[in-house]
Amino acid sequence: MTTAETLEQIFRMVFDDDSIEIRPDLTANDVDGWDSLSHVNLITTVEAKFGIRFTQKELLKQRNVGDLLTDIDRKLAEK
Amino acid sequence: MTFNTLSYFFFLPASYLAFYLTADRWRWLVLLLASYGFYACLKAPYLLAVLFAVTTISYCVGLKIAQVEPESLKRRWLFGGCLACIGTLAAVKCLPLLATRGGTSGTLISVGVSYFSFQAVSYLADIYLEIEEPERDFGRFALYLAFFPKLLQGPIERGGDLLPQLKKPYRFDYDTARSGLVLFGGGLFKKVVVADWLGLYADQVYNNVHDYTGVSLLVATYAYALQIYFDFSSYTDMARGTARLFGIELTENFNAPYRATSVAEFWRRWHISFSRWILDYIFKPLQLSWRHAGQLGSALALVVTFLISGLWHGVGWTFVIWGLLHGSYLAASNYYRPYQKRLYQWLGVARSPWLSWWKIFVTFHLVSFAWVFFRANTLSDALYVARNLFDLGGSLSAYLTLGSKPFYRDLVLMGVGENKTYLQLLCIALVLALKKAGQETRSQPALRWVYYLATALACLNFGIPNINKFIYMQF
Repeated sequence: MTTAETLEQIFRMVFDDDSIEIRPDLTANDVDGWDSLSHVNLITTVEAKFGIRFTQKELLKQRNVGDLLTDIDRKLAEK
Repeated sequence: MTFNTLSYFFFLPASYLAFYLTADRWRWLVLLLASYGFYACLKAPYLLAVLFAVTTISYCVGLKIAQVEPESLKRRWLFGGCLACIGTLAAVKCLPLLATRGGTSGTLISVGVSYFSFQAVSYLADIYLEIEEPERDFGRFALYLAFFPKLLQGPIERGGDLLPQLKKPYRFDYDTARSGLVLFGGGLFKKVVVADWLGLYADQVYNNVHDYTGVSLLVATYAYALQIYFDFSSYTDMARGTARLFGIELTENFNAPYRATSVAEFWRRWHISFSRWILDYIFKPLQLSWRHAGQLGSALALVVTFLISGLWHGVGWTFVIWGLLHGSYLAASNYYRPYQKRLYQWLGVARSPWLSWWKIFVTFHLVSFAWVFFRANTLSDALYVARNLFDLGGSLSAYLTLGSKPFYRDLVLMGVGENKTYLQLLCIALVLALKKAGQETRSQPALRWVYYLATALACLNFGIPNINKFIYMQF
């Protein structure tokens, strides 16, 4: 399973919506219920699932799903 | 000099004329000189030195953050720069307190320092996060911090929003200039006709709370909730209207905040530039640091963020409680929101149009209750108001009894009974009814002119004299 596919599964689980299809330009404005609280759930789930830990700067810089995917791939490559 | 003083009505046309007649490449300098001149009118020369110091520090540190490697060094420069800006702000705000406690009178004022210091911090953070490039032109950067329409009371502008506008060539556009003036006029109306009038009552009651009970305290709290909104949003309108004359669009700071259906939504509609600032630079870093504590981490981050926001408004228990109340409202909503949804579904009102009105009513009252602590002069005054606010039954009969002292006193304060006040209310209704038509370019010219005349006449006839301060300038 690719990183994007795993991330899509996490999105569907966190936002309890099986119809979510992620794309690089997807932002919090596009997903119902993606607020600051669910964002934290999303990040902690991503960190647990991929076995990585983001720095605060990486998290504050992320503007969309594309940024999140890039950071996950980089972290996985560094492992 | 504030926007509602006579001197500003000479300063603004003179600045605009100088700006208009100057070649494009020097226009930034005209605006910079006008901005420093505007600030100098406060007759506190140390403020100019503080503005220049914060400008120089943030300019140099911004360049340094972009230039240095590795990451740890960038972070050190960021913390150093932010500490210098916030330290300067804290010093300017706390020195009068220390002077007063030391026996001498605290005469220092800190008008504007919060706003340009916060802007400097956001600029440095955005460079560190690689959201923005550092500005290399010192003159334009100085103008970004000092631009006079937003210098004293915001909006707090991001570098990415304002800096590019300061570099654009200016072309006169009749519709833009007209809409700027209309926005300014509407703001002036809100301040001198509505906010200052409401303030007559709110100030009288809140400065003598022990003379009042129940209904009077409740009406004064409503009056203050409306006064602070009209006062602050009027300043923003006048700031945005002035900036628009020079071809600059400033951030909209208010979006009908009392129509919010939750406290979280209220903060997305109230003092928007400040809410965005505390959200991005205080709440998010805290929340992400404490993310492994789950909901508790988010709740704590909210409480701490609003505690800091309260302390920024003033070092005192009233502001601490105001901040803690808002932090607690938001933290609690994280926990009860899912149950609230289920409750509405169980009651069968989830789709009722009345539900929105009910939520607006509750939110307004939660926010107004917090304003009690924000407005009261001392903690004991605030606690007295909070204890007696709901004593409606006992006070209502006394309140409504003709001849009782509070009844007449309240009415006289509001000017009720005078023909002029009824005319003022009629004028307010007329201006509100024609607001949309008056501000749109394509509306009927006759309607527009009725709006202009009603606004101008109301400002001239019903304005409360000798009130030159805006509430938020003290912060």
